[in-house]
Amino acid sequence: MTLQPGGAAATTVAPPADPAASAPGGLNKESAWRRRDRRWGYVFIGPQVVGMAVFVLLPFVASMVLAFASWNGLTELTWVGLENFTAQLQDELLLRSIVNTLLIAIITVPIGLGLAVVIAVALEKLKTRTLYLILFFAPVVTSTVAVAMIWQQMFRVDGVLSQTISAIFGIAPPDWLGDPRLALIAVCIVSIWSALGLNVIIFLAGLQNISPSVIEAARIDGAGAFRLLRSIRLPLLSPIIFFSSIVAFISSLQTFDTVFILTADAGPDNATRTIVYHIYDLGFGRFEFGPSSAASVILLLLTLVITAIQFGAQKKFVHYEDDAA
Amino acid sequence: MPRANSKMRRLLAVGAASALMIGLAACSAGGGGSDSDTVVWSTWGTPEELTRFEEFNDEFMKRHPDIKVELQPVASYADYHSKLLAQLTSNTAPDVFYVGDDKIGEFVDAGVLAPLNELMESEASQTKPDDFFPGLFGAAQKDGETYAAPNDSNPDVLWYDKEALAAAGITEDPAALAESGEWTTEKFLEMNDKLAAAGLIGSMYWNYWATHWSWVSSQGGTAYDESGAFVGNDDPTTVAAVDTLGEYFQDGTFVVADTMPEGAGADSTFVTHKAGFFSQGRYTIGTVESAGVAESYDIVRWPTPDGAEAPTGVAASYLAINGRTDASEAAFTFWTEFLSAEGQTFRLEGGGNAVPSIQGADDVVLEADYPAHAQTFLDMRDIGFANHPGEAAVPGLSTDISDLFLALYDGKADAQGTLDAVADLVADKTGK
Repeated sequence: MTLQPGGAAATTVAPPADPAASAPGGLNKESAWRRRDRRWGYVFIGPQVVGMAVFVLLPFVASMVLAFASWNGLTELTWVGLENFTAQLQDELLLRSIVNTLLIAIITVPIGLGLAVVIAVALEKLKTRTLYLILFFAPVVTSTVAVAMIWQQMFRVDGVLSQTISAIFGIAPPDWLGDPRLALIAVCIVSIWSALGLNVIIFLAGLQNISPSVIEAARIDGAGAFRLLRSIRLPLLSPIIFFSSIVAFISSLQTFDTVFILTADAGPDNATRTIVYHIYDLGFGRFEFGPSSAASVILLLLTLVITAIQFGAQKKFVHYEDDAA
Repeated sequence: MPRANSKMRRLLAVGAASALMIGLAACSAGGGGSDSDTVVWSTWGTPEELTRFEEFNDEFMKRHPDIKVELQPVASYADYHSKLLAQLTSNTAPDVFYVGDDKIGEFVDAGVLAPLNELMESEASQTKPDDFFPGLFGAAQKDGETYAAPNDSNPDVLWYDKEALAAAGITEDPAALAESGEWTTEKFLEMNDKLAAAGLIGSMYWNYWATHWSWVSSQGGTAYDESGAFVGNDDPTTVAAVDTLGEYFQDGTFVVADTMPEGAGADSTFVTHKAGFFSQGRYTIGTVESAGVAESYDIVRWPTPDGAEAPTGVAASYLAINGRTDASEAAFTFWTEFLSAEGQTFRLEGGGNAVPSIQGADDVVLEADYPAHAQTFLDMRDIGFANHPGEAAVPGLSTDISDLFLALYDGKADAQGTLDAVADLVADKTGK
């Protein structure tokens, strides 16, 4: 026997059976209930399953099939084997898109998560943190299109940002969206800003979930605030940071709407062309659904490889409380 | 926990299923009218244009009370064709629809558009094939059959700013030179040199097919031969013309309008007298009028080595009839009235931003007496050309060619290399 919170005695002995179930025919009666419950269960999950099949599974299968075919949506579909893949892997635009996408991920994920950790730590003890959380979270619940359009105005040569930089440093106002060297940085700034609030909330929750006894024990051992952060809080937060990095990396690999709105398609000289934009351009700009699907399969494989690398690396950097036990 | 009431569960389940069905139905909504007296048509456009189209619908339904017309607008040109493609694939496309000049070839090749020759020659037709200016059909015609006709057109004329020219010490008027047959390439480049020396932009161009192929054709070069094969790289005149074009872009005398920054874009540069010439269509009237500087501007055709006029590019969009429409008769009635001289006059009068594609509607261009040489729009349309059918038949090919030219303008390639790359690209994409 164990003691449950609140002092109630818990037992491993099974509760008394339902008298109805032991009555003649009771077993059949219970099965009928369960069958009916199961039927209702199917009915309730049915819409979700149908939605998933229509909007996720079917496009996924269609994309896999189309990757091996030539089809423009209007004419007959013809099989071309691996031709779409070989052509895509030799396509400079796809290679450019992959480089741009990886740059966005490499820039935005560490900076975005790092900033979020710093802000979460700073907010942890703050009494007015709710106000700050609302401010940080506002971009997360704002439409990406609206966010991109607002930043588009700020990034204009005569916009607030460029004019401020020009006034402070006495240089010509930078053309964030027209200069190929700056356009990708502009996309990264917007991406970091948009996702910051969500990561701050997640990290703050993680920090608040660390057992006070662990912190107290470290303090008794003489750990200062910095040592506490470096040796206790961050290691205990690392599983959450790892989870967020996986989500953020996958999200960065799928960057599309910010690029599409902010930099008018793919920016100057394809400076902000991402893989998903490349897929969109091939499919809906050029009606080349075969190469477009092949590029999406390549993106899937790239995502799997990067996620696998992240999982491999986590053994060195992620600290689980169970491991310590 | 008490079991949920069985009636309530049933209600919830029905509600969930209904929501799903409504959602799925919403995703597949749209498409042509399924009866023979309803014509659904689609286009992109600005709010002002769409309002004008609705007014046209109302007028049309007054004339034809037996036909109901519904406009299915798409705000963005970028989204329009992907939606149309999805509708055509799922057999829910409108009965009549606009098609852009960069997509028309693909739709013609796919066989989804109704053939129009016989209908256009019929008694019900208000748009005989000969009524249209032949150079405007482009990829809308194939093997002698017509699959769409131009809604209207926009020849890329050279707008020029008299104030900017004067500031650069230029005393000759380009339009007057053109009238006397002295509007030569040499004169034009000389004016651009003076503008650059005065710290102004010489000329601004959008980086698309009409710019590079207009320059080539006006300089006597040949980009494509009659079979649709690209021959520009083997033609010394074309190579020399493109070389000059690249040189002027590279030294900053010519500027690519697409790459100018937001807030200091081509339109604002032009209306603030910082550029001499700007290659654009009739819609520029709105830009200079809204800036209150219209009196400073006029238009001229593209210069040629000998000063004589030469064909140059004319932008156009097309109106087609769905090959699977259930309302073929009503659809053609709408199609022919929309494109007729009366239809185009109705759509373009009072601030219209294009040039009619059909004979008999020229007054809408000349009525306001602006710009002073408005007749140039009509002259250039009469002899101009739409994008080359081979190039227009492959979605994205025009954009890819423009990207190659941008590399030339940026100094990353030379003229011969650019034209060789274009030839390889065209051969790869079109098989010619």
